[in-house]
Amino acid sequence: MDGSRSVEALDVRDVSFRYDLADADGGVRGGADGTPAALDGVSLRVAPGECVVLCGASGCGKTTLTRVANGLVPSFFHGGFAGTCLTCGLDAARVPIDRLTPLVGSVFQNPKTQYFNADSTDELAFPCENMGMGTEAVNRRVAQVAARFGVEGLLDRDLMRLSGGQRQRIAMAAANMLDPRLVVLDEPTGNLDAAAIEDMRVLVRRMKDSGVAVLVAEHRLAWLNGIADRYVVFDGGRIVRSYAVGDFLALAPDEIAGMGLRALDLEPCRRRVRALAAAGDEDGSGAPLLRTRGLIVGHDRRRRRPRFGFGGAGRGAGRSFRRVVGDLTLRRGLIVGLMGRNGCGKTTLARTLTGLAKPLEGSIELEGREVGPHALTRAGFMVMQDVNYQLFSASVREELMIGFGADDSDARSRCDAILDALDLTAFADRHPMSLSGGQKQRVAIGAALMCGKDLIVLDEPTSGLDRLHMERVGGLLRRLADGGRAVLVVTHDEELAAGWCDRIVMLDGPDPSARDAPAGVAARRRTP
Amino acid sequence: MGSSASRTGPHTLDPRTKLVLLLFANLMLFFHVVLVTQLVMAALFLTPMAVEGRTRMASRFAVAVAALTALSMIDPDAMGVPQLHVVSALAVGVSMMLPCFMTGAYAVATTSASAFVYALRRMRAPEAVVVPCVVIIRFFPTVARDYRSIREAMALRGIASGAAAWLRHPARSLEYVLVPLLMNATTVAQDLSVAALTKGLGREGAHTSRTAIRMRACDWGMMAAATLPLVADIAGVV
Amino acid sequence: MEPTVTPQTPDPTTASSTDALHAGTGRRNGTGLATADLITIGVFSALYFVMVCVATLVSTLFTGGFGSIFLPAIAALISGPVFMLLDARLRRFGGITVMGLVIGLFLFVSGHFALSFIASLVFPLAADLIARAGSYRNRTLLLVSYVVFSYGLTGPILPLWFMKDAYVASLEARGKDAAYIEGVFANINTGTFILAMTAILVCALLGGWFGQRLMRKHFAKAGIA
Repeated sequence: MDGSRSVEALDVRDVSFRYDLADADGGVRGGADGTPAALDGVSLRVAPGECVVLCGASGCGKTTLTRVANGLVPSFFHGGFAGTCLTCGLDAARVPIDRLTPLVGSVFQNPKTQYFNADSTDELAFPCENMGMGTEAVNRRVAQVAARFGVEGLLDRDLMRLSGGQRQRIAMAAANMLDPRLVVLDEPTGNLDAAAIEDMRVLVRRMKDSGVAVLVAEHRLAWLNGIADRYVVFDGGRIVRSYAVGDFLALAPDEIAGMGLRALDLEPCRRRVRALAAAGDEDGSGAPLLRTRGLIVGHDRRRRRPRFGFGGAGRGAGRSFRRVVGDLTLRRGLIVGLMGRNGCGKTTLARTLTGLAKPLEGSIELEGREVGPHALTRAGFMVMQDVNYQLFSASVREELMIGFGADDSDARSRCDAILDALDLTAFADRHPMSLSGGQKQRVAIGAALMCGKDLIVLDEPTSGLDRLHMERVGGLLRRLADGGRAVLVVTHDEELAAGWCDRIVMLDGPDPSARDAPAGVAARRRTP
Repeated sequence: MGSSASRTGPHTLDPRTKLVLLLFANLMLFFHVVLVTQLVMAALFLTPMAVEGRTRMASRFAVAVAALTALSMIDPDAMGVPQLHVVSALAVGVSMMLPCFMTGAYAVATTSASAFVYALRRMRAPEAVVVPCVVIIRFFPTVARDYRSIREAMALRGIASGAAAWLRHPARSLEYVLVPLLMNATTVAQDLSVAALTKGLGREGAHTSRTAIRMRACDWGMMAAATLPLVADIAGVV
Repeated sequence: MEPTVTPQTPDPTTASSTDALHAGTGRRNGTGLATADLITIGVFSALYFVMVCVATLVSTLFTGGFGSIFLPAIAALISGPVFMLLDARLRRFGGITVMGLVIGLFLFVSGHFALSFIASLVFPLAADLIARAGSYRNRTLLLVSYVVFSYGLTGPILPLWFMKDAYVASLEARGKDAAYIEGVFANINTGTFILAMTAILVCALLGGWFGQRLMRKHFAKAGIA
């Protein structure tokens, strides 16, 4: 096989793939109801310097195609593979995956688990070390790439302590350490705020300009305007349509929505978000459930560092954080969106309102009475970003019945009603961990409803979701509010906020994308 | 963890030297060295710690050595309180183990993950040992955070998770904590595999390091200095 | 002594080893374990290490200065699910051995007694062989395997049996009478030894049974074991 046979960075010819049952997304995340073909006769070429966007609903096959391109399918994700995928001229399905390493860089969705080393510099050096480069060469390359991707300020840091956006920039730099000819991005902005997404955009453009081919599988499309060259729409493992950039951007918003895709232009959403944020709590409709006065949230960490540290003790530890929160009222029947850039204290505020963290100053009133953290924890519930930590039982029904006797017939009938309202009846006997992400969210909410919670807080419930699932989450929020509860949703998702929130609270000012970088992100550089 | 670049200055010992010091500390325990040797070795172990800027750690250990030595010197019979023998015996026991703790703390605190892993590779440790070590360094610190999330999730559901709950329902508490932790672990294992494989961890052939480790004069000097009193003691000269 | 590794620039255009399908993931590294398996072992070893740390803490709380005497027993009591899930995910020889070995290495590096390293090699290896005899599926053999594995942590408590000798020696060196301490420790020594070893057996049986119960109740049902 010679590399000159194909000048394309990627040349996929009639590829079909079906995951083995056991491997269907690890079995943990995907509900494995048998496995339909993940890819079905897909052909696609990507030229050097070209940026191709793969879009479509969840499970349409776009992620699988990125895995074919970087060789994870079929060598790591096993299954029935047919066809040929030439990645930079190499037969990706048949050569050892480490032959592809110097040619293909990969970036994945979850910034928490896509780095292999604990230290940021180690992570950058890692691909070079694996290729057997000498110490001098490795360090030279680390310095070069760090400068190119504006991450010098993030070197020698504990990755666990970086923000999601910072980690994702490290991931981009790490994917480019070996000067690849193709970079594959699998939903890289799933957990990022507007400013971090803008950074991604700059980095992708820079890669394109240096002749790297870029393949992006993505739900959020707006950030790719101006850098994408082609849009390929997937459905059921097949490519149903392919657009040149001009044709795609000319599509009307409802045509985009009709294909189940997220908005191409977020400006209308942003205008609505700004208007909602400006309106404040004027109309005062709905009975107030919770009110804050002079609240300052944050944490005052005095040198709490991990006890296990290979030489890392002292650095970055013990940083305390304060955020003054304007007085806030949460009313029954209303959905309040809590927005603001990464690290501005949204999650800390949400934790404070549910009693998981103590306020540094100020007070919180519940139904007109000033209360402490314990009462807040009894009254509120938070659906965490990682809902996996919130499920404890062996079946969905048992999960809802925690804390109630199995012979409590009143509780059982309430449980049945809640399962029904949340479309979970069909899964009542399944193990919660065998469900999809959205179903798990609903199980957690069901458990909260069983406990009779009045305040439901959701932390980034739509990260990584396609339009359909995002709208389902929105509908669910509406139903929760209509049931007389106060709903607070922490989100970066402008489409969710504009479409479903009754009020918006901007924790860091009027417009998240217009804010300066926080002090901790000193190295953020937009342009070279 | 580990900014080796700033710590591989002239004063940092090679990880392999640190391993040798650890071994020496164990030999001291094994051969019951006499008090003089213990004190000399303690001074030797504390020197690199102090030189590398870990003065607070070194001074704490120095205080511990002094206190334990003092405790082990008391004469309970003469004081008429034979029960104090237990305290004294304990002091002797702990001071025996102290050299291991000293060298261990020194090794852990001053070795970057990168240097540790490369030292393993240079010592021809198989990948079957090296790779799990890297993963432990990466994953271990996140478990505490995961545990905190689980505790909070339990609190939100009104499931007791404090000490009282652990005593009253140990099995159930353990189940509630372990199930999410282990479920998460399987996911993490898959994601880390994907991250590592696309970056070439599985490649055959030599894997290098960004951290240069090399035996310098100070390494040989340190080892020689530590060998002398130890050998003298074991040979019975002291 | 410079690192003697020569930089190798991989050349994508030469050598097409199509025979090495699944390499990198399926390559066996001479130990029967692929890179992905090693990462799985690493993740579970990290969890086991957490359990060991918790056990050290609890043991120290209960026994004061004699810190780690019940460390192996407590670790055995709580680590069953970790051990059982590793076996179920891997079902391959080497996982248990490597887990024990790596934990031994970390204990040694963080200042534990070097002999613990030998225990953390021999017992897990035996445990691995026992589990393999049942193809990592036979529940009884897995339980026996777990019990044997649990004795791999006896290393850190061995120094306790050196302690009396050391104290007696130090008393004699000072010309004192060691009769009292001999008397106190005579029964403590053998008694504690038997007690600690029996505690490991009982706790490992309980912990292993608990682990297998969680496997059936949760992990098999969720489709990940």
